[in-house]
Amino acid sequence: MKNILVIDDAATVRLYHCNILISAGYHTDEAINGIEALEKALTHHFDLYIVDINMPKMDGYEFLKELRSKDIPQAPAIMVSTESAKNDEMLAYNAGANLYLVKPVKPDELLSFTRILLGEGI
Amino acid sequence: MAFIKQKTQQSINEDERSAPRDFDGLCLELNHDDAQVRRWAIRDLATYTQASSTLAARLKIEDNSSVRTAILDALAKFSDDISVSALVDCLRSDEASLRNEAIEVLKSEPEQVAPIIENLLNDSDSDVRIFAVNILESLQHQNVEKWLISVINNDSHINVCATAVDLLSEVGTENAVNALENLKCRFADEPYICFTVDLALQRIRQGDH
Amino acid sequence: MSNTTISDDDFLKFKEFFYRKTGIQFENSKRYFVDKRLIERIEETDSKTFRSYFVKLRFDNSGDELQKLVNLMTVNETYFFREEYQFKCLVNSILPDITRRKKDDSPLRIWSVPSSSGEEAYSIAIYLLEHWKDIDSWDIEIISSDIDTQIISQAQKGHYSARSVQNLPAKTLSKYFTYTNGGHQICADLREAVEFTRVNIMSPAEVRSYRNFDVIFCRNLLIYFDDISRRQAAEMFFDAMKSGGFMCLGHSESMSRISSLFRVIKFPEAIVYQKPLEGR
Repeated sequence: MKNILVIDDAATVRLYHCNILISAGYHTDEAINGIEALEKALTHHFDLYIVDINMPKMDGYEFLKELRSKDIPQAPAIMVSTESAKNDEMLAYNAGANLYLVKPVKPDELLSFTRILLGEGI
Repeated sequence: MAFIKQKTQQSINEDERSAPRDFDGLCLELNHDDAQVRRWAIRDLATYTQASSTLAARLKIEDNSSVRTAILDALAKFSDDISVSALVDCLRSDEASLRNEAIEVLKSEPEQVAPIIENLLNDSDSDVRIFAVNILESLQHQNVEKWLISVINNDSHINVCATAVDLLSEVGTENAVNALENLKCRFADEPYICFTVDLALQRIRQGDH
Repeated sequence: MSNTTISDDDFLKFKEFFYRKTGIQFENSKRYFVDKRLIERIEETDSKTFRSYFVKLRFDNSGDELQKLVNLMTVNETYFFREEYQFKCLVNSILPDITRRKKDDSPLRIWSVPSSSGEEAYSIAIYLLEHWKDIDSWDIEIISSDIDTQIISQAQKGHYSARSVQNLPAKTLSKYFTYTNGGHQICADLREAVEFTRVNIMSPAEVRSYRNFDVIFCRNLLIYFDDISRRQAAEMFFDAMKSGGFMCLGHSESMSRISSLFRVIKFPEAIVYQKPLEGR
């Protein structure tokens, strides 16, 4: 079963994303910020990351930059943000995101991009 | 055996004493090349109440994140108008790490933040409004629920409302029920809003039994 | 007889809050354990319902109530070679990394906080003697500190119960301890190897002279602090370390709840936190 790490400081957002992914047959784990996500990524295998941008202690950009610099098997990442302003999209791709989505993400949108990034077709 | 002891006091970093530890000496050290020396200077400056504008100015040009953290902590200690406005300015920064760190510091300053929170909740930048709701999370103030209700009644931005609902699912009472139901009607075709409002309503209703 | 109950939603709400504050995550299988302790606190605080207790907990400025819960939900015991994987990490990964980068032959400095009755600091000394191949090439200072003078004098005496040494291999026990007065007395050489000091880590003036540490062990302490004190303590440790130095926390603790100052480093044995090297 494909394993997906959902990273967001808001519990409700994590729950929402996890529910959608679990109902489609994926396994999920959660992290409250970039540091916890990094700790999990370094000790567990994930096939995909769903990454919020604004989080305390370590934001989504820093998480992805750190993750991409580590010598571990890499997985694709979807970055989600509250706004399309502030160069978020460009910064997300520079940090190593594979896709950038604006919140709130619709269930079918999340699932179809998840399948594409996991190489499962649409 | 290779174990040794020495008086811990002997190993004090000599760098710290390279300038006089008075206000002017410490201000000079803010320009030192070594980030650790700058951190020490800031920690000592935190005892001078007149240092807030100097530190607020340094924050604008400081690029080392550990030094910035020290400045934010010092500003939190002063908690005067200059410091609070320097922290609020950080919310508009292009740098995510600075924004988020400022939110964390502001969360620990309920008395200083309460008077300006309404302005922040009405800011023209939706991200600033979201950050203001984030700050409310740990603001121990009697008006928190009232402010949140006002946000979901009036704010047109979906993510500002969503963030407010997240918090209402923790602190909301019966008073928030109408506003939550109205919000669901306003964003009826947004699955996330329906999800988070339902969760909040469920928790409020269950909590009242 | 109690009739307070914790509903599924209450549990979820509490679980999220506790996770956010402490990083401790309860599996659903722990439900009974958690409920029981929550109900105990609800009753002791004269809260009528979970909801009114939860409001108290969320808005308790002092953090006392959260601390009481943490105490109840975690079991804190100190004994020799507790969380041994971190000592393995010290000798196999951390010290080799530090000595490879080291430009002079000044002593390696290790700080163990809180000292409690000394088991951790002595464990470090024993582990280095038994398992670090380069021990003869370097001078090492081990400093161990606590706020409580009584526990420090207990640590300096070095007399331990059977329970406290039960994780030590028999060979190690007989090599460094003698059995006297109904307990295990640590040898004079080891007592000499560790410097015990009294310090309040929350007092900037007291910690001012604690500097240039290569490795800091601070396990299962910060979890009992409130958010602000925890952050202040992390700042203090950061300033007490050399660039490139490492910090080890307890197994259920994570910097993710504390500070963004450190880098997360994974060694084969453990996750540790590094003060960034200069120029990074």
